[in-house]
Amino acid sequence: MSSNSIIVSNLTKKFSFSARNESSGWLKNLFSPEKKEIIAVNNISFSVKHGERIAFIGPNGAGKSTTIKMLTGILFPTSGNVNILGLDPTKNRKKLAYQIGTVFGQRSQLLPNLPLTDSLEFFGVMYDMSEKEIKTRITELIELFDLDSFITQPVRKLSLGQRMRAEVAASLIHKPKIILLDEPTIGLDVVAKKALRDLLLKINKEENTTIFLTSHDVGDIESLCERTIVINHGEVIKDLPTEDLSKTFIYEKYIDLVAKTSFENFPELPKGITYSSKDKNKITVIVDIKTISVQNSLKELLTLFEVEDIDVYNADLETVIRHIYEKDSQKL
Amino acid sequence: MKEIKFALYAIKKNIQSSAELRTSFVMNIIGMSINNIVFIVIWGFFIKSVGIINGWTVADIVGLQGFVALCFGIVFSAGAGIRKLADYVASGAFDRFMLSPKNLLVRIATSSFGASAVGDIVFGVVCLVIYAVLIQASIYQILLIISLVIISVIVFLSAALVVYSASFYFTDADAVTKSLFELFLTPSLFHGGAFQGVMRFIFTFVIPSLLVGTLPVEIVRDASLEKLLPVCVLTVLWFIFSIKIFNRAVKKYESSNFMTFGN
Repeated sequence: MSSNSIIVSNLTKKFSFSARNESSGWLKNLFSPEKKEIIAVNNISFSVKHGERIAFIGPNGAGKSTTIKMLTGILFPTSGNVNILGLDPTKNRKKLAYQIGTVFGQRSQLLPNLPLTDSLEFFGVMYDMSEKEIKTRITELIELFDLDSFITQPVRKLSLGQRMRAEVAASLIHKPKIILLDEPTIGLDVVAKKALRDLLLKINKEENTTIFLTSHDVGDIESLCERTIVINHGEVIKDLPTEDLSKTFIYEKYIDLVAKTSFENFPELPKGITYSSKDKNKITVIVDIKTISVQNSLKELLTLFEVEDIDVYNADLETVIRHIYEKDSQKL
Repeated sequence: MKEIKFALYAIKKNIQSSAELRTSFVMNIIGMSINNIVFIVIWGFFIKSVGIINGWTVADIVGLQGFVALCFGIVFSAGAGIRKLADYVASGAFDRFMLSPKNLLVRIATSSFGASAVGDIVFGVVCLVIYAVLIQASIYQILLIISLVIISVIVFLSAALVVYSASFYFTDADAVTKSLFELFLTPSLFHGGAFQGVMRFIFTFVIPSLLVGTLPVEIVRDASLEKLLPVCVLTVLWFIFSIKIFNRAVKKYESSNFMTFGN
């Protein structure tokens, strides 16, 4: 058996829609509208090994959700191939469903009016598990996800954090080999986010479940995923270990200058140094070390400003990701 | 077998889920029963004042209402999910059915329970019992009624499936599918004697409205196997056609990212 859980080859998805032509009359627009086409996913290829934890990130409209929907068989690709655990989602959708779990942060799969136990049982029956298997698995999931305090509550009465834990638990009832999560921490507070990330790490370690997630939350990527694939305008623009992501913009350093009294003027900076933020108490500048060294930057800055403290650091992951998105957009 | 087991389980859970909202559940059932009774009273008065048209008596009208109400009740109580197809598709809630390891159609149909349609089942059964009494039905006719209920349910389900499959072709198909379904349902409830010639042909072969009420009543009344056979053939054809249309339509699904809650 292949060591890959997911193999995506030259995957493309196009959507067509009717667009209003401002130069045409409303009658023409109504009966003979102009057809437009957008390429949501453009010829992407990648593979994921068993037990890997992948962050699939990109700005809004980049093609993340469309890709995840093609991986799960919800959408049919325009061209290209998807192979999940040896199955083609377009042809073996039902078979594949037994092998994967899915969580959509914006969409609940639970039964809203019934207690959470009923939803878990419902999924167990749906996956053809025996009554005994369902009971044992529910007990395991209650313990693993700490569901005990709200297991008898109707789902509609759960808090968002509780519901997301329940969603993930329900998606794992049949012990899937892969779990695909589309923005699982959306709307959660910091405590609930951490709890969910810890749980996902736990199931990855204990059950060797492959995790494939899309998220806008840098914390999800940093603390959970060992590899990051960045997609923008439907194309994969980076595919690298998450720890290498921050090295992408290693030629940029950030310097914080804390004012001795207060900064009154903000003079023009030497070439290679730009303001990132400026106020009377603190200035942050970005240094392009290909143009000017850190040492020379500090010398120049100290002649310009009277400072009490200085801090030199690399860009954080969020900034790096923002840069990647911005840089890619400038290419267009 | 696993599909049937799951379908029955899903229906049970949906009933439990609907029953959680008890007041709405009971009011829905009572409301629909009253609605149907008013409808049949109006038809009774109509026959009384106009007289028998093309051999159709008050008893036949009761039978017609019974067949159609029972079909409607069975399909849209246990399989109320079909009626929500336009909403599921527009909101993207359809995604979760595509992720299910079960037959897509069974999963969608049993995703929701129509409490109000239980009122139609009760009303339909009562009407058919009254009908059997009024026509002094023989055992043969009673067996025909039971068989024709099954046939009518299959036709009704097929028609619903064809109409609601349109949901995949329009952006917001709710109003369109409702109107199209009315085009099928309204003639099915209409006085059977009114359909002659071209109208009878259209509402049998193009729109199968007469297959769910009018033709079953005429078959029972005439105790006619000759009429039953073509109805059976048409039923099978409509069912195959509806499945093909549905499977083709699903491939048009484009999903969306609205916030939704599951069931």
